[in-house]
Amino acid sequence: MTVTEVSETAEPATPSTRPAGCDRPAGPHIELRGVRVSYPNAPSEAIGGIDLEIPAGQYVCILGGNGSGKSTLLQLINALTLPSDGEVRVFGMDTSDRGAALAIRSRCASVFQHPEDQMVTSIVADDVAFGPENLCVPQPEIASRVDASLEAVDMLDRSQSDPADLSGGQTQRVAIAGALAMEPEILLLDEPCAMLDTQGRSDIRAVVDALRTRGITIVHVTHFMDDALDADRVLVLERGRIAFDGTAAEVFSDVGLVRALGLEAPRKPEEILRVAADRTVSRAPGNPRVTFDRVSFSYAAARNPRRRRGLFGGRNRGKDASAAPLALEELSFQAFPGTLTALVGQTGSGKSTTAELACALKLPLSGAIRICGVDTADLDRRADIRRHVGYVSQLPERQLFAETVFDDVAFGPRNMRMPEDEVRSRVCEALSSVNLAPTDELLSRSPFSLSGGQQRGVALAGVLAMRQDVLVLDEPMAGLDPEGRRHVRDLLRALKRAGTTLIMVTHDMEDVAELADRVIVLERGRALMSGSPAEVLPALLVSEEVGVHGDSR
Amino acid sequence: MAIRASIGQYYSVDSPIHRLDPRVKLVGTLAFMVSCLFVDSPATLLLAGTAAFTAIALARVPLRRLLSQIRPVALFLVITSVINLFLVQTGPVALQLGPVTIHADGVSAAVLYTARFFLLLLGGSLLTLTTIPVALADAAEKLLAPLERMGVPVRQGTLVLSIALRFVPTLSREAENIVAAQTARGADLENKGALAYARACVPLIVPLFASALRHADNLGRAMDSRCYTGGARTHYHVMRLDPQRDGAACLALALYLAALAALRIA
Repeated sequence: MTVTEVSETAEPATPSTRPAGCDRPAGPHIELRGVRVSYPNAPSEAIGGIDLEIPAGQYVCILGGNGSGKSTLLQLINALTLPSDGEVRVFGMDTSDRGAALAIRSRCASVFQHPEDQMVTSIVADDVAFGPENLCVPQPEIASRVDASLEAVDMLDRSQSDPADLSGGQTQRVAIAGALAMEPEILLLDEPCAMLDTQGRSDIRAVVDALRTRGITIVHVTHFMDDALDADRVLVLERGRIAFDGTAAEVFSDVGLVRALGLEAPRKPEEILRVAADRTVSRAPGNPRVTFDRVSFSYAAARNPRRRRGLFGGRNRGKDASAAPLALEELSFQAFPGTLTALVGQTGSGKSTTAELACALKLPLSGAIRICGVDTADLDRRADIRRHVGYVSQLPERQLFAETVFDDVAFGPRNMRMPEDEVRSRVCEALSSVNLAPTDELLSRSPFSLSGGQQRGVALAGVLAMRQDVLVLDEPMAGLDPEGRRHVRDLLRALKRAGTTLIMVTHDMEDVAELADRVIVLERGRALMSGSPAEVLPALLVSEEVGVHGDSR
Repeated sequence: MAIRASIGQYYSVDSPIHRLDPRVKLVGTLAFMVSCLFVDSPATLLLAGTAAFTAIALARVPLRRLLSQIRPVALFLVITSVINLFLVQTGPVALQLGPVTIHADGVSAAVLYTARFFLLLLGGSLLTLTTIPVALADAAEKLLAPLERMGVPVRQGTLVLSIALRFVPTLSREAENIVAAQTARGADLENKGALAYARACVPLIVPLFASALRHADNLGRAMDSRCYTGGARTHYHVMRLDPQRDGAACLALALYLAALAALRIA
């Protein structure tokens, strides 16, 4: 390797040559002319004719449902996707030109949806350095850029941590730091908050807000309507076209337009409280289906719920572990048929642990959990418990495995040893209930060939087909667009009416207000508050510190 | 989680060993690990042990932390030790218990071989505890650079290795989630023959594989947009040989190797 080679590549990124906003090129930063994108084998165009200009320093929010072409639009800007027709110019360079991709990307950084998929190394500072290293920035400057970028996202104190030990929100901040370290003029954000809890989301919003003062052009694709409130300009995409271009105030003040575009107006805390106050909460009829009786749990002392205690896993094991921190401490509650119990709380509060305990996927360290009268620790009746309680994990589409949609949905019923005609009718019914028509064409398709929203539906159907009395859901709305969220809410209401006992982990206060009959607020493994949404929500929405914030790793 | 523990978690503390040039540490550790195989007497064992524990003391890594790294292979060590104890049937009889005789050579093999393997593992663990993975990858890249000229993709190879390490915890957490979700749908892995067991694993392995592919896809896109080309790049961590610190380390290593050779010949 020769020295000249290095300095040549380093040139476009040398920061000293970059003015801080004084003499920017007069033309727009980003320019799309008659852009179309179509993928082979796809029924319709991903982008169907877009003309767009984004001037330097603008903060643009892009809204739109799943499959509207939002992400494709972003990928067009930094040349990850090339237009099939029309032209895309960034900094005046045509993205289709040879060598343009690298030149554009060196000045136009991206942050993507999944925080953990952007971490290249197992030390935070080294990951932030990855971009500058690729730009051949000299070492002393890399060090100062890493420190400055981590400072900007308030993660300097975790610079030597392993990203695996960080929360989703923290990891995403590191990813933003990695983008900032490249000293970009354009920052592309592709649903950076979709996988984050409320805390993570508000942290990212604060970071993005601070970046605007630096004059960076920001293009932000999001499902969250309140993100759009901060933007200079809002674009709404629909089937690959721009359906709206204006300000947030313009779009959200027009109820008809909001509905027509498949959006939902952001709700203020007062409105959420009104929803909660206006709803009548189901009173508990009959006997509880799920009972937690002073349940404690510790990861350090966890026993394998599938195996009997043998020679080495004796009773004294709990004693050794009494010093270990408890993930859950003396939690007691009951869940009744036809009601939804919402579990809310911060990262590490024990919500997901509670959910897994409620499905007998974990066994309590002390205390007892009874599902339809059966103790989850009773291994001889494990099959009974499985028949009674279903579990929808986080991002359930990740558990799809079978060759066809039919086989995947039928997995549960077949494990229950049902006759094949019963299995078939259950599969069809479950798919219909998640708004997927059970045609032969769909049933024989591979679940992996479906869109993200449809995969979520199939995964939900796979649990619903077992028709259990108790359903435990861990953030079933995470990553869905407004339309998808509405479908899942309708589905949960229908299940409640049918008498199913629902337990749902969530960090969305709107879901709590709309659906919950009982809310349990967890903090560090203890129940901080519990009651009806109307009782609990005022406290949650007023104080920022109390466990409004969820965790969605 | 055993994998994560054994692959090594960096122990963040400032010490002379931490500050050593990673190339020196890598070569030194490899030399020490090889030298452990030449330990064949109490004297050489004492020498190697002294060397190892001096380095550990200098590194200011708690011994407990070091031992917890080795725990996954401890059982293996114990078993080989016991096998040596009973199977080596040379030398004077040390103990006679009915049909079982234990010979002096068996005892020394049991102790010596286990101890030297233990030291070897300590050396390796110390390296991963005191060196961040990236520095290790950078060092390997520099040391193997001559191979690049022969067409071996050293740079890409070391990056692949560091990414693989990075994704172990992510994938193991995902595996746990998948097992939980499929168990709740009635997947049962117990009481099955080999073939049925393999078939029952499909609902676990397919999603995990799909997940790995998805990670690869996303990561590739993220690396592309961060301008990774596989070509020339600079490094955040400078590797500069410090004449005093690294010189002293090399000298100490040379003296140790010389002393070991002397003891072997004597």
